[in-house]
Amino acid sequence: MKINKFLLLALLIVPITLLFLTNTNEEVQNEEVNIYTSRHYDADNLLYEQFTKKTGIKVNIISGKGSALIERLKAEGINSPGDVFFTVDAGNLANFQKQGFLQSIQSEIIKQSVPVELRGENDEWVAVAKRARVIFYNPELVSEGEIKDINYEDLASDVWKNGIAIRSSSNMYNQSLVSSLISNLGIDETEKWAKGLVSNFARKPQGNDRSQIMAVANKEALIAIANTYYIGIMLSGKGGKEQLNAAQKVKIAFPNQNNRGTHINVSGGGVLKHSPNRENAEKFLEFLLSEEAQVHIVNNTFEYPVLESVKPHPIIESFGDFKMDKTSIADFGKYNPEAVKLMDRVSWQ
Amino acid sequence: MITSIFLIPILFIISSVFLGFSDNFYHLYENLLLEYSLNSIYLVAGVSLLVTILGVSTAWLVTFFNFYGKRFFQWALILPLAVPPYLLAYVFTEFFDFSGTANNILRNLFTTQSDVIFFPNIRTIIGAIIVFGFTLYPYVYMVSRVAFMNIPASVIEASSLLGKNSISTFFGLSIPLIRPAIIAGVALVAMETLADFGAVQHFAIPTFTTGIFRTWTGLYDLNTALQLSTMLLLVIFIFLSVERASRSKIRYVNSVTTSNSYKPIQLMRFKSAAAFFVCLIPVFIGFFLPVLELINWSSQVDTLVSTKIFLAASNTLYISLSAAVLTCFIALLINFVVRTFGISQLLNDLLSLGYAVPGLILAVGITKMFTSVDAWLINYGTFITGSILGLILAYIIKSYAISNIVLNSALNSIPIALDESAQTLGASKLKLLRDIHIPILKTGLLTAFLLVIAELIKELPATLILRPFNFDTLSVSVYLLASEERMFEAAFPGLVIIFFGLIPIYFLNKLILSNNK
Repeated sequence: MKINKFLLLALLIVPITLLFLTNTNEEVQNEEVNIYTSRHYDADNLLYEQFTKKTGIKVNIISGKGSALIERLKAEGINSPGDVFFTVDAGNLANFQKQGFLQSIQSEIIKQSVPVELRGENDEWVAVAKRARVIFYNPELVSEGEIKDINYEDLASDVWKNGIAIRSSSNMYNQSLVSSLISNLGIDETEKWAKGLVSNFARKPQGNDRSQIMAVANKEALIAIANTYYIGIMLSGKGGKEQLNAAQKVKIAFPNQNNRGTHINVSGGGVLKHSPNRENAEKFLEFLLSEEAQVHIVNNTFEYPVLESVKPHPIIESFGDFKMDKTSIADFGKYNPEAVKLMDRVSWQ
Repeated sequence: MITSIFLIPILFIISSVFLGFSDNFYHLYENLLLEYSLNSIYLVAGVSLLVTILGVSTAWLVTFFNFYGKRFFQWALILPLAVPPYLLAYVFTEFFDFSGTANNILRNLFTTQSDVIFFPNIRTIIGAIIVFGFTLYPYVYMVSRVAFMNIPASVIEASSLLGKNSISTFFGLSIPLIRPAIIAGVALVAMETLADFGAVQHFAIPTFTTGIFRTWTGLYDLNTALQLSTMLLLVIFIFLSVERASRSKIRYVNSVTTSNSYKPIQLMRFKSAAAFFVCLIPVFIGFFLPVLELINWSSQVDTLVSTKIFLAASNTLYISLSAAVLTCFIALLINFVVRTFGISQLLNDLLSLGYAVPGLILAVGITKMFTSVDAWLINYGTFITGSILGLILAYIIKSYAISNIVLNSALNSIPIALDESAQTLGASKLKLLRDIHIPILKTGLLTAFLLVIAELIKELPATLILRPFNFDTLSVSVYLLASEERMFEAAFPGLVIIFFGLIPIYFLNKLILSNNK
């Protein structure tokens, strides 16, 4: 009985003391940069290590859902230790900028190397990598001629009845795609389009982008809408043999090549307004936009590079050049809530 | 003081209602609210039914009969408790997918064609009901088992003397006797189901929680998301009241306990085999299937063990142990205070609400609270947001309900007269707690402690947002890998979560079985 009491007491005291130890441990170290990221690719960690090796600046990471990180930053206010906000969706980025969380990037290197449409209006953020949202088709079911000149707009046509696989409207990539359509066609036209698209679904929206591609390979659907880098991962064999086999059965079509171009989305980051280590934050972004880091990104995540001097991974390059839609990325953030409501109204689950 | 720490995050959520309803709320009301509500109702109803069938039938078989494999099932039936619903959801979708293991096996057996599908789509409400049912039924199993064991042997014997067979004794006598226990267990399951996000999200089923997150992340409207959460809280509060009302009746059953020396009936041949399979199915689907499939996935990864996983594992252990100790300590104190100072039980119910708030929403409430504390703490050069302390606080708020349920019922079984006589003899309140209550409550404290650990090892959403820099737990690793669609690599940390979950479950089992003697 006595021993039990001691045990209980010890169990209580140990964590409590540890608590206070860890909590006072937050002294500001000299050389560090604190990153809030919703882009948590394993390959990025290697990148951070390279940065530390090169500059001696320690990289601290907190990762999570973009909107949750935003709430945490909001709550932390001027006391926030955050230096860099890094995320995978342009809508998130633009929305974040609109709320005034970012400050303008000063680095001339960044301004010179990144095209203006891949930066915020006043350089509040900068894209680090691009991905295109394209159409995958099964050549056994759909001929190249049928799909060569396709536009996103055509997906609402009866030709594709019961033929389209796409994931849920909760997915941010779909939200950004619909936002870009609202920006180009207006709300009413886009809603009509979405209604047609939903009536062409081959199945209830489900799974991730890869399972849409699998559905096409397995002939559950004629075509699928998904991001380019997924097929890169699948073809590289990183996703296992099944995915490799499936990926070899499908082909890619880039929509809207005869007009505004294929919808692209970006991963990107910016310097936070109350950043305590602002210089390090800029150095970090500069590093991500260096050739070395860009090569690392394209080879590991199969995204498109932002630097013109860097080529995409050979697998991705083999799909060929294409015209990219230059619709303002700020519009993605602006129309995102409208896009979600619109998809609700047409019962896109 | 402690109470206010618990309540502020919740009050923050509820206060959203007074900030006015935006257009988004009306948009949701017109287009989606009905669908969300109906789906949530179907889900909870289906899960409740399934866990009742699975939990009660297995508990009944294991308590009143001897059959092949009984000794094994006695403890194995609790095992699915170690499997978080989101993991089973991951496994199910891959396993029953077009090119998943299940379809491949059957294709190899029955046909040469490679495009035949044997299993229907799993990403439906039915699929979700199965996932929750098979991971959460142990709650009902455990309470039913204890309740069945507490039915006096004489009652059952009387029934059989009156010529009733086992089945009619079961429906006519045993079930009504333990009904309060079943309801309490089911209410817990219902709360867990309503607050879950990972599994329903993976299945893309529009329920209340998915709606909350969609509103937040897609419409950028946190306030409306919190208003939806408030509606959810209201429902949860009803479940809590049901749970407590039922629990107060359990005591009645306990008090008539005289002798437990009921001799189980030996089942023969066919009946024994039937009992075996009834018990095997839930254990197999809820535990062995996911574990085997995760092992299968892990075997396809080159480097399994890394320092990262090791760190994540020790973080997980460290933080859930500390939080569990503190939670039980606080629950004990509060329950003691409620009892000896005659404060309303309503207090405990309010404190228990945190259990049912979706973790991510609770985390937002907590972050807001920390901010105001930090504004003052910053003068002393420190702050709690993003500290271990912050995370532990969130864990305590989240898991208070579990420890409270156990301790509250344990404390209620101590007669008030005992307190009164102690105090008549001049014992101080502190002495009463230390020398009388704690020794009696030892088992209850341990049970609460183990249940809380089992729960916290799996915790994901609050950890994700409140953790300090560079602080990964196992569930965070699984989530991050899975969200990159790297299921094979996510499998190993998933297995470690299950393994850690088994440790408290092992001890829980020992506790339940020793109760039996």
